[in-house]
Amino acid sequence: MSDRGGRRFRRPIGLVAVAALTALALLTTGSAFGGGAQSCGTVVINEQSWAGSTANTYVAKYVLEKRLNCKVKLTQVTEGPPYFQAMRDGKVDAALEDWDNTLTTAGQTYIKDKSVRVVGSNGITGVIGWYIPRYLLKQYPQFKTWRGLKGKETVFKSPESGSQGMFLGGDPSYVQKDRALIKELGLNLKHVVAGAEPAQVARWSQLYKQKKPVLFYWYDPQYLNAQYDLVRVQLPKRFAGCVDDEKLSGKHACEYPSYGLDKLVSGKFATSGSPALKFVKKFKWTSADQNVVANLIAGKKLKPEKAAEQWVKANAAKVNAWLK
Amino acid sequence: MASVAAAERVVVAPVVTHRPWWRGKLVQVASIVALMYVAYRIWALEYPWPNDLVWNTLSLHLDDFQIWLLTERGKEDQGLVFTVFEGFSTSIDRLVDWFTRLLLWMTWAGTTVAGVALVLRFGGLRVALLTLFAFASFALVGLWEESMQTLALMLLAVSLSLLVGIPLGIAAGRSQRVSRAITPVLDAMQIVPAFAYLLPVVILFSIGPAAAVVSTMIYAIPPAIRITALGIRGVPVNTVEAATSLGSTRGQLLRKVQLPLARRMILLGVNQTILFALSMVVIAGLIGGGGLGAVVTSGLYSNPALAILAGLVIVVMAMTLDRVTEAMADRTDPAKQHLDDSRRRRIRLQAAAAGTAVVVAIVLAKIFGAASVYPDEARGRTVTIEEWLLAKFQVVLDYIQDPFSFAFSITQPTGTFVFQQLLQPLQEFLVEMPWFVTVAGLTAIAFVISGLRPALTALLMLALIGFTGVWALAMDTLSQVLVATAIAAVIGVTLGVLAAESGAFSKAMRPVNDLLQTLPQLVYLIPFIYLVQVSVVPGIVAGALYAFPVTLRLVERGVRDVSPSSVEAASAFGASRLQTLVKVKLPLAGDAVMLGVNQAIVMVLAVVVIGGLVGSGGLGYEVAQGLVRGQFGQGVIASLAILALGIALDRVTQGTRSARREVLT
Repeated sequence: MSDRGGRRFRRPIGLVAVAALTALALLTTGSAFGGGAQSCGTVVINEQSWAGSTANTYVAKYVLEKRLNCKVKLTQVTEGPPYFQAMRDGKVDAALEDWDNTLTTAGQTYIKDKSVRVVGSNGITGVIGWYIPRYLLKQYPQFKTWRGLKGKETVFKSPESGSQGMFLGGDPSYVQKDRALIKELGLNLKHVVAGAEPAQVARWSQLYKQKKPVLFYWYDPQYLNAQYDLVRVQLPKRFAGCVDDEKLSGKHACEYPSYGLDKLVSGKFATSGSPALKFVKKFKWTSADQNVVANLIAGKKLKPEKAAEQWVKANAAKVNAWLK
Repeated sequence: MASVAAAERVVVAPVVTHRPWWRGKLVQVASIVALMYVAYRIWALEYPWPNDLVWNTLSLHLDDFQIWLLTERGKEDQGLVFTVFEGFSTSIDRLVDWFTRLLLWMTWAGTTVAGVALVLRFGGLRVALLTLFAFASFALVGLWEESMQTLALMLLAVSLSLLVGIPLGIAAGRSQRVSRAITPVLDAMQIVPAFAYLLPVVILFSIGPAAAVVSTMIYAIPPAIRITALGIRGVPVNTVEAATSLGSTRGQLLRKVQLPLARRMILLGVNQTILFALSMVVIAGLIGGGGLGAVVTSGLYSNPALAILAGLVIVVMAMTLDRVTEAMADRTDPAKQHLDDSRRRRIRLQAAAAGTAVVVAIVLAKIFGAASVYPDEARGRTVTIEEWLLAKFQVVLDYIQDPFSFAFSITQPTGTFVFQQLLQPLQEFLVEMPWFVTVAGLTAIAFVISGLRPALTALLMLALIGFTGVWALAMDTLSQVLVATAIAAVIGVTLGVLAAESGAFSKAMRPVNDLLQTLPQLVYLIPFIYLVQVSVVPGIVAGALYAFPVTLRLVERGVRDVSPSSVEAASAFGASRLQTLVKVKLPLAGDAVMLGVNQAIVMVLAVVVIGGLVGSGGLGYEVAQGLVRGQFGQGVIASLAILALGIALDRVTQGTRSARREVLT
């Protein structure tokens, strides 16, 4: 609309400059990207939001790059159907820690058509449950099990829970059935949603620092478990037919199952024969290992690359086993 | 920036003779609320929404739809539709990828010189310096690559949004029918939380830049359309008539009269589109947009100081883009161009010099290996700027996270008091009230304030919420939305009036507004939770802080647009500045004030999901849960309920004035 006389004269120079630059760029990028594929090529690993996942991902990246000469690209697609779709479309090759997202209906669709494949456990067992700070056990040793909570719920009273005790719920994206548990166990607790994990941590850690009572949804491995001394409250043992999804009807009154955390690869990567695939299949460590790295990153605020390097150098034997 | 119609105002006598519209209505509304309260005292908790009136299987049907879509998308031979989507996403992916690589290949030095030269040529020295600061900060804080990814993504998303938005805006500006047809769609695009459509977008466009661009566009297109339409409609009627009577065709009318005259307004639309797009960076990061959004998300979980840093970089980028486009638009204003030969030659020389500088910078950077070394590392100092900043943020965070601090001893009791005395009673009032009383009451209020048709729409929307089975959750959310909107309205109107009265204050508020519209909310809300340990408060703060800038801008514009002759007349009669404001300007700007409140609701609803992520519960939590846990139906239903709530509240508050739909954000 402002295309009046003068502009037409000016355009060529701008255009020529841009065109020249573009040509220059194309030439150089072209040559730079053409040469690198010797043995391994590029592997795309998805990093999820929690610190443990960052630890897995960067250790794997370090080893793949330094030992196998792969080029590793990281994506940060959110877990569940979004990253399954990314694998189906060949945009993500591997994810190193899945908390049973594959068991949901949507997840099963991807498993069935083999666009997402489970390639074994990453060695870590995930535990979900109800946690309290250990200092509470001094005054209330009975809080070790859920029966001990009965009648004492008001210890956990907060401004939000009225006359009941407060139960702080977990991140909306995590597996949970606490409302059903509270109801079926007949506890006088009010389930208060605290929001995403960082928001929930803000809630319970403030109470912890004041040595006040708090009861909340939590899990392990988690780097904060190294900073805060937490105890899991024993819930009723699992029984056949116990339901873990609170949206489904049935009996929920049993503890959460333990999760073998799975490594996932895309169908495309699984059939690629890349040396990186062999590594991903063998990659396996422990909760303690992961916590060390996660704590370096999230607790000590080390850059993830540096944290991974530090761990790999200190654990040569374990790393070598992944490469055999 | 945002504004109401700049339509010519009829000169109104300084003394407002008609009865203020709200005097009678306020009393009526108060009586309705009083009646509702009586009903609540008698029947609290006795009549929740009846289960017989719920479509229980809706969620399952929606889940089935998702699975169907997944299966279809996974088939070997895909239909034409999917092929089209795939072609689109592949080309966008390539484009963004190529552009990002170009920016990175040029290295921080080359890109900075190129950016500054480009801005210097088209925008002038001031914004060029701003650009220099922006690029330098991207490199200095160690987020260069992420910044370039986000920049490439956002430039494309904004361009595409404008490409779609401006023509549609022109169409809507020229035809009432088009306008009426697309307005509800625009409302939906702004209110339905991105979390609800991320999954379908991912299934259709896969993961990556294309999906990120599409989700960003859905949120950023509405302001482009609305403000453009407003600009076209704001062209004085007599000018249009004059042109028509001189024999202009519709095309000529558009090109020679409407577009040039609406130019400033359209540029305003460009600016708002930029801010809206940049507010989507974090969401885009969740589905493969990468860049700064991903840094914010993972930072929130493991390094909050880093999340703050990345959040601020997003704000710097948004403000720079905003100011640069504004300056460029100003420079290219045809009214200001008087080119003679010598100026033309000078400009050509400047362009050539700039081009050379860019090439030299790139070559030098390549020679010195700047591609892998960033200025923060090159110094060889023990503490880089990035580390220094992170340490400073950490100090603040440590103070905030200390429950024995002085701040905590004030914020926590205050938060608890507000919650127990204000929020909780309101929440219980709405959730426990018999459903038919709520429906009848809100419909009656809509009738009193806005008239019969809006009341019927509100009734329909409330019924829809109950029918989809989320009545209690929606009432919970409603209570929070009402409080957040009230806070936003009070702050927005007060500051808006101040900004209209004082140019200096208006200037000072602008960066604050931009910051609040583009800084990812979780970045400041998570620290806030440490200070106020009550779930629903952070969500309300998020809503109020996100919404009030819009109210402020609308009110400011409205008060400024009051016809100067009215103001002059008032002062001629000896009215003081305050009297003029209260008796003349505010009543005459009543439309804009009402519109400001009305838009505050839309904005508050747009961040309901953020509330869900910081403990608000209600519908926001359901939506957030739906995305990841594969409960698609649950997420969609909750999102539709948010939309229905938005439409109902809009109808309740829109008032009877006809100008009200001339909205922008």
